[in-house]
Amino acid sequence: MVQVTYVEADGTRHTVEVKPGSSLMQGAVWNGVPGIVAECGGNCACGTCRVYVEEPWRAPTGEASDMEEATMEIREDERAGKRLSCQIKVTEALDGLVVHMPPSQF
Amino acid sequence: MQTLADLDLPFLPVEEPAFAAEPVRYFREARTKHPWLARSNVGFMIHELTAIRELLGQDDRFRPAYDGIVDQMGAHGTPWGRFTEQQLISLPVAQHRLLRDAFAAKFTPRFANQLRPMMQATITRLLDEWAPKGGFDFEEFASYFPISNMFTLVGAPIEEIPGIRSSLETLGLAFSMDKSRLPAIHEAYDRLEDLVQRLIAQRRADPEGGNPDDLLHLLIKTADEGGVDQRQLADLIIFFFVAGYDTSKNVLTHTMRLLMQHPEMYERCATDFEYCRKVLDEGLRYFNPGSVPRFTNEDIVFRDVLLPKDTMVWFNLNISGRDEGVFEDPDDFNPDRQLQPNQRHVAFSLGKHMCLGQYIARAQLQEALHQIAQRLRNPRLTGEFGWRPYPGAWGLKGLPIAFTPADKRLEA
Repeated sequence: MVQVTYVEADGTRHTVEVKPGSSLMQGAVWNGVPGIVAECGGNCACGTCRVYVEEPWRAPTGEASDMEEATMEIREDERAGKRLSCQIKVTEALDGLVVHMPPSQF
Repeated sequence: MQTLADLDLPFLPVEEPAFAAEPVRYFREARTKHPWLARSNVGFMIHELTAIRELLGQDDRFRPAYDGIVDQMGAHGTPWGRFTEQQLISLPVAQHRLLRDAFAAKFTPRFANQLRPMMQATITRLLDEWAPKGGFDFEEFASYFPISNMFTLVGAPIEEIPGIRSSLETLGLAFSMDKSRLPAIHEAYDRLEDLVQRLIAQRRADPEGGNPDDLLHLLIKTADEGGVDQRQLADLIIFFFVAGYDTSKNVLTHTMRLLMQHPEMYERCATDFEYCRKVLDEGLRYFNPGSVPRFTNEDIVFRDVLLPKDTMVWFNLNISGRDEGVFEDPDDFNPDRQLQPNQRHVAFSLGKHMCLGQYIARAQLQEALHQIAQRLRNPRLTGEFGWRPYPGAWGLKGLPIAFTPADKRLEA
């Protein structure tokens, strides 16, 4: 299992165990972490599983695809490290990952 | 565990006009007998917002039930029946994913935002034509907006808008489960199919003939690159018309009805573009057109109730925002309402079948409302309005209004 910390906008930290091979979104939803809505169920279609990847994890989590970038344009957001968590696959290399969540996904 | 037969579920007469006029009252009465499930002549109804949220996103356990509708309508083997059974949403899992992934990039928020200038020009042109009248049926006016945008997007000849609008009106009633409509439905479908096949053929014959950036060009290119055949490409464009017409029209019309009861909100829409978005979201909570038909793929036990495999259920998205168990004062229209994520409306559905066109719909409705509020001042109801059939694309039938025409506000 891989340890991931999801940080709510008010600073509340949720450190949970996530199964490698699942998505970062699933890691939150299956562990009952609040703040990740994921209305489309992980199809890069709704933009409601947004996170901000903390350094030094941006390189290991990879770059957003064009489709992901285009979906995140549902609203203006200049904050660095933004990603849709359904598009990040959890691997052993992400053990210790820390991501932040927005105050609202809408 | 309880079976459906054990429950003595409340019955909802969904096909009756009286039901379409005030379904919220019927659903509330049904909830006194069972909190989330009711029965009807067209299938079981799952109407509580929390139950919808917990079940509808479980894509592996439910499948779209449009073949069930064709079955109930007795339309197997007809062109409309074939389309309805094979449209994007109804395809087998792997085929659906392939097609949806191929086309999804053309329906992102980025793409929708790029269309905003076109949408603004469309609503300006319509208002220039309609506003001087001082009064009209707002539903009729509103109907020309999404269809004009769609015609522009696929480069269709605008002189065909009235005929195709008529066809889309008919097809929008196809899921009302009224068999007497079938001859008109078939005629309407044939006209739409003919237009779409001509558009594709003309563009293929003359690739430089249309706008190289329009949606038709992008869809043909995406289809060719992705190995999508001609039938599936045509079906997708037909689906684009059918899904995009009376959904947007009905939402815009009903939002106008609500705003006429709140003149101060309407006034603010004329000057505050962001507020228009909030008004539309609250409008979608209060009302939306959709009920989503599904079959269970397996035996599903939910809250100790067994829904056997192959049971037809409808998720009543359209009234779920009025759930008194989830919302305080659910009948108050309040765009500044503070909502938790689990109170968010589900007007665009959930899961992998979530509305592909939702960003185009959201953008065009926001653009329309902002300009309408500037041009149709002090709108008021001048007659009675009716209701469309509840199953399918529910909404107002006619909304006669009068108003003071005004020029477009110059943006600072």
